[in-house]
Amino acid sequence: MNRAICIGIILLSMVRCKPEGSVFKNVPPKQSGVDFINQVTATDELNILDYLYFYNGGGVSIGDINNDGLPDIYLTANQLKNKLYLNKGNLQFEDITTTAGVAGNSTWNTGTVMADVNNDGFLDIYVCTVVGINGFDGHNELFINNGDNTFSEQSAKYGLDFDTYSSSAAFFDYDLDGDLDMYLLNHAVHTPESFGKVDLRNRRTYETGDRLMRNDGTTFTDVSEEAGIYGGINGYGLGLNISDFNKDGYPDIYVGNDFHEDDYYYINQGDGTFKNELTAYFGHTSRFSMGNDAADINHDGWPDLMSLDMLPQEEKSIKSTEGDDSYQTLQLRTKQFGYHYQYTRNMLYINQKNTPYLETALLSGVAATDWSWSVLIEDYNQDGNQDMFISNGIPKRPNDLDFIKFVSSEKIRKKINQTKLVDQEALNMMPSGKTHNYVYEGTGTLAFNDQSGKWLVKDNLVSGATAFGDLDNDGDLDLVINNLNESALILENKTNASANYLKLAFKSTEQNAKGIGTKVYSYHNGILQYKELTTTRGFQASSEPIVHFGYGQHTTIDSIKIVWPNQKEQMLRSIAVNQTLLIDDNKAQKNNQNVYESSANLFTKVEDNLGIDFVHKEDAYVDFHRQRLIPYKVSEQGPALAVGDLNHDGTEDIFLGSSHRQPSRIYLQKEGLFQLQKSKTVYQDSIAEDVSAAIMDINNDKKSDLLVATAGSVFPENHISMSTRLYLQEDAQFGKAKTIEDIFGNSSIIISDEEYVFVGGHTVTNKYGEIPNSYILRKENGTLKKIQEFPLGMITDAIWSDFNQDGKKDLIVVGEWMTPLFLEHQQGTFVEQEVSGELLSGLWQSIISYDIDQDGDIDYLLGNWGTNSKLTASSKFPLKLYYNDFNKDGVYDPIVTINKHGDEYAITTFDDLALQMPDLRKKYNTYQDFAGQTVVQIFGKEVIEKSETFEVQTLASGYLKNEKGNFYFVPFQEELQLAPIKTFVKYDFDHDGKQEVLTAGNFFGVIPYHGRFDSFPGALIQSDAQIQLGNTLGLDFQFKSARHLTIIHINKKPYLLATFNNEKVQLYEF
Amino acid sequence: MNFKLIKKRFLLAVLLVNFLFSCKNEEPIDIETNDFFKSVDKVTEIMVHDIFSPPVASRVYVYPNIAAYEIIAQKEDYNSLAGQLTNLTAIPKIEQPNVHIEMAALMAHLELSKKLIFSEDKLMTYRDSLYSVWEDKNSTQFKATKSYATQVVSHIEEWMNQDHYAQTRTMPKYTVNTNDPSRWQPTPPAYMDAIEPNWNKIRPMVLDSASQFKPEKHPEFSLKKNTAFFKELTEVYTVSKEITKKGDNSEEIQIAQFWDCNPYVSVTRGHLMFASKKITPGAHWIGITKIACQKNTSNFDDTVATFTKTSIGIFDGFISCWDEKYRSNLIRPETLINEHIDEEWKPILQTPPFPEYTSGHSVVSGAASTILTSIFGDNFAFDDTSEIPYGLPVRSFPSFNKAADEAAMSRLYGGIHYMAAIVNGLSQGRNIGSLVVNNVQLKPTKE
Repeated sequence: MNRAICIGIILLSMVRCKPEGSVFKNVPPKQSGVDFINQVTATDELNILDYLYFYNGGGVSIGDINNDGLPDIYLTANQLKNKLYLNKGNLQFEDITTTAGVAGNSTWNTGTVMADVNNDGFLDIYVCTVVGINGFDGHNELFINNGDNTFSEQSAKYGLDFDTYSSSAAFFDYDLDGDLDMYLLNHAVHTPESFGKVDLRNRRTYETGDRLMRNDGTTFTDVSEEAGIYGGINGYGLGLNISDFNKDGYPDIYVGNDFHEDDYYYINQGDGTFKNELTAYFGHTSRFSMGNDAADINHDGWPDLMSLDMLPQEEKSIKSTEGDDSYQTLQLRTKQFGYHYQYTRNMLYINQKNTPYLETALLSGVAATDWSWSVLIEDYNQDGNQDMFISNGIPKRPNDLDFIKFVSSEKIRKKINQTKLVDQEALNMMPSGKTHNYVYEGTGTLAFNDQSGKWLVKDNLVSGATAFGDLDNDGDLDLVINNLNESALILENKTNASANYLKLAFKSTEQNAKGIGTKVYSYHNGILQYKELTTTRGFQASSEPIVHFGYGQHTTIDSIKIVWPNQKEQMLRSIAVNQTLLIDDNKAQKNNQNVYESSANLFTKVEDNLGIDFVHKEDAYVDFHRQRLIPYKVSEQGPALAVGDLNHDGTEDIFLGSSHRQPSRIYLQKEGLFQLQKSKTVYQDSIAEDVSAAIMDINNDKKSDLLVATAGSVFPENHISMSTRLYLQEDAQFGKAKTIEDIFGNSSIIISDEEYVFVGGHTVTNKYGEIPNSYILRKENGTLKKIQEFPLGMITDAIWSDFNQDGKKDLIVVGEWMTPLFLEHQQGTFVEQEVSGELLSGLWQSIISYDIDQDGDIDYLLGNWGTNSKLTASSKFPLKLYYNDFNKDGVYDPIVTINKHGDEYAITTFDDLALQMPDLRKKYNTYQDFAGQTVVQIFGKEVIEKSETFEVQTLASGYLKNEKGNFYFVPFQEELQLAPIKTFVKYDFDHDGKQEVLTAGNFFGVIPYHGRFDSFPGALIQSDAQIQLGNTLGLDFQFKSARHLTIIHINKKPYLLATFNNEKVQLYEF
Repeated sequence: MNFKLIKKRFLLAVLLVNFLFSCKNEEPIDIETNDFFKSVDKVTEIMVHDIFSPPVASRVYVYPNIAAYEIIAQKEDYNSLAGQLTNLTAIPKIEQPNVHIEMAALMAHLELSKKLIFSEDKLMTYRDSLYSVWEDKNSTQFKATKSYATQVVSHIEEWMNQDHYAQTRTMPKYTVNTNDPSRWQPTPPAYMDAIEPNWNKIRPMVLDSASQFKPEKHPEFSLKKNTAFFKELTEVYTVSKEITKKGDNSEEIQIAQFWDCNPYVSVTRGHLMFASKKITPGAHWIGITKIACQKNTSNFDDTVATFTKTSIGIFDGFISCWDEKYRSNLIRPETLINEHIDEEWKPILQTPPFPEYTSGHSVVSGAASTILTSIFGDNFAFDDTSEIPYGLPVRSFPSFNKAADEAAMSRLYGGIHYMAAIVNGLSQGRNIGSLVVNNVQLKPTKE
């Protein structure tokens, strides 16, 4: 037996070099007969300098052109002839290009689509071309299938013979009239030297503007303008997907644009027009958008969307290539030029049923796959969950910083002027951008596991357009990849019979023949899988027009519901797996109930806010301009919020604290409405940035007094505007503020109970990394007396809670770079207690007590940074902050590091670091020298060891589970990790007699490296198992950065009051 | 191959040769004016590679020049700058008889330059080859000289390190506020952050403060027609249009390109980005200084003195100019023209990344030309060859002042400055130049 294993291992190691992963196997061209190479040759006249998309590669389309049940392959070459390979079975193909007459006649071919354009039951082939620049000749070609393995080029006849800069096309029935219309994706070529105003997209340019072409039977009519399709000079269209994103029955369009132009999210209005609703549904998008794909990854029956970009994974590449904009450039591009928020990384958008998408790529682990072209989301291992295949690579990285800054100037300039050909020597100095293709295993949740190198061998190719099809008819999905200057690659899927599948093809007589746009709902074992038949997917490619499901080991499918484009539907029950069904629409029934209707909401926004017209305006202070290496802004903590009776009339009033140089506001309740109280004394203190407030009677006159804590980071600690203030209520007015007990500084929180007040210190102005004091005060003889003063940490929140059950209120304090602190109330002082269990350090933002596991004791819910971030943390590999005067210039700098494979790397770019510490440029003359250097290598072991060091063990929000007085941290589910959680409030919102916790968050005070934490829609937490997202409850929290949630009684009825940074307050009935 | 090993072997060989011929190691060492030019040129070349912004480049030039000059001033024919420049104290006296003054000056220049540039290797290769020749010729003198030069470098470096350069690295960045229509904002294509917003905190050498020659205000910002400001704005646009029509060979475009002096022009061609790098305005005038010294066949000492005085003017010029730039924070013509007149318009030169008023090149040209005129006289005609390495032709000038006039006007032709910045910048610079001429006395008696 042992011996057998030994021999087995030896045998295995002998065949190790075979190009084979556990799911995909490379089929050599010799074996398949697909001997296609897209050879791209740079010449003096034509190279990357003349045409920016010189290395974008060709296209691929898969479909059964002769209806023999075997999908055939069409591959386009940029400069050479295209080829059609007829599938002979057993993964063997015959090149029939010449006899079929589909080689093409254009100078520069790009994408290709197979579609039955004339609706005769045979797939035709459409080829996109670039014409009109660099002497590129020809036009897009439409090869109409004659039904006998020959084709006739009839693009002119159909009106589709475009001579523009096209990259891809999609055939779909946008007006649901039963024939296939076409969307043509064109790309701009002008150099993006200046951003240009966003309205450039409204001015149609012939060569670059996208087109919507309506099929009018024998010819196509350009309806782009009346349909509302942009056609500007700045649309660098590279990605195209057609899906009914909002499930209203009409197919919608997503266009991914490269460079600074936004992506377009065209929602089909059902009347022949489209409306770009990108900003309403997407908080941010990929920046250099390339290919994309839509599929339901989380089994909710709605299409999610993945859009690719070019962020590398390896430190060496990240730090030596041009990355994100500076904070200021992004501000300029969004505020001044009108573009949307875009960041350089892949984006995964989770469909939320007509509310904004959740963007989860970082949390899902799919954000960085380098220079990526195509993504195809399908179930490759047939376990019932959608996986992702991502092709990538570029021959040379043109965004290499050494090349841009040092090499190019000296090597390439003269050549450009003289010969136009890029000096080979200079090109050699540009690092290669060849990276292995990626494959991710889906889990059915938001998480994906990288299986590159396991499911398939890691290649060294420049891979582009990719299409899938079941080439060997064994039920699983094989892939065809068009590579640059290398043979096209066929990846045979070996899943075969190890997991079950179902394949569906469609045949229609009343609608488009192949049923493009048909939706399929599959139910097995209580699991829903949903797919919509679209063929233009990934990048410059179309896949076999089939719908494919995997079922793992399940052998029967409970039911399949098919919804045709004309909304007729049919239901199949108890279907056996492992077969291919050809579905005909003659049995389909009309059903009008397919349009999605959202359920009634728990919360209803009170649109006029009952007179609370407060809009918080954040001031223009940019922390990064004063402390370049600060990891996030600490100046966006406001507004402050406190609710209490501020004029002694028995009703609840509101204090809202404003930012620096904006007056804070008091709103008084009168007969169920609110009026602004013109408080002179509060107005006089406008210079302060008020971030937290509390209301209590200090001077024992039974009238509420007001306590306000400030921050803002603009002023030094001892500045008068940085004092913690007390306003005493006199005759329904507030007197002049008094500084409470000499408490100055950037505070985060002030809370009070009947006797004690806690003031939490957050940061020290201009010294992020230094720990300010926090304070405990006691009410004594009508005034507040400081009883304790200690540097607890970078405090963000605190609660009074009797954690040791001795009947006295203790204090629990949370903050950034620390573990939650438990301060026990002992005879008038609060003493820090070791709590047994496992309290992790975090970037804690908020805390509330709540019995989330419903076992009768009190747990503590903790808001953290979230895991949808480039920052990473674990107990083994904590996120770290080193605080030191690294270059001995008298200024302490905070350096934040993340751990990759056991080494710690600063998250900062070399430029940002060297701007602060210029001598680093002496140590590292090139970006290549710096890239991949650990903090220890950069600053030296001794300096790092002597630095003040802070750690974070988890970024997940979660709760401290109370187990007999021991507390153990349990993270929340994925949807609550999307962004920093800033606030909690407890109330019986659903009137079931039990309290729930409502939470909100999001945060934008970060540099573009981090992106924008805008996806969290808030959540209602009933128990650890029962959590509902805010967007399903009627809450409008997404894309807004929440600060406080509180309950206010208006006319004795409870309302929810929510405040946001730099936003209007919101008031909800429930 | 192992470079270090080769280096070691080479050193070993040198040592061996030294040892074998030690008795012969007493040759005189000649230091020529050309050696100083070479040293300066080398530093310029490295600065272009390393990408130094114009103000920082002026600092890289001035301190090594002063270190060299202070050594030369150990001779009786020259005055020390100690007491003449803010906070500069006298360098150590020469106590060793073997110290070679010119060699010490050159060494101090190289050693201090090395501390200021980034790519040290490039300078060290050059330095080491010089040093090994010198040491080979006369090791006693070499060692004594080196030891003295090192003392001087430490002295000047200590003074240099108190000029607040380090502190300005950690001072706040410029904040864009697009709500103010007159306020500078980043410009295409790279939309770079504003360069050196705190340069006015650098300690000037001759000026009593950064604001000593605060220029008069630029015409009040207005987008109303018939206002002085708007006229200047349209002037930039119409002049640019006219000369573009005339073509690349027009005198104006030639002038604009000749004086571009932008150390980092970001170019995008297709998917390719790269930098087109040139010398800074200060470096251009350092180049002219060299041409003048060569033409005048100035000796080593006079050459060092001339470079020193000119670079002091340039250094203080940038402080004065940057003080105004971040006082007025005036928006560049490119931003306004794209916004209000012609969104397709691009200036002939790439707009550099800092506020408009006053023109840095005008200030620096004004200062340098005034100083050079005081040394070489007016109507000193010369052929300006300093831009040849950057692919530009030779231009000839009848005098330094005429060259400065042209350099200043080039900013209008280039489409990057309004007229007020040019006119007021030039006079700001000339005032600084005169101050340096009057306050910095290099020779004991007036010539």
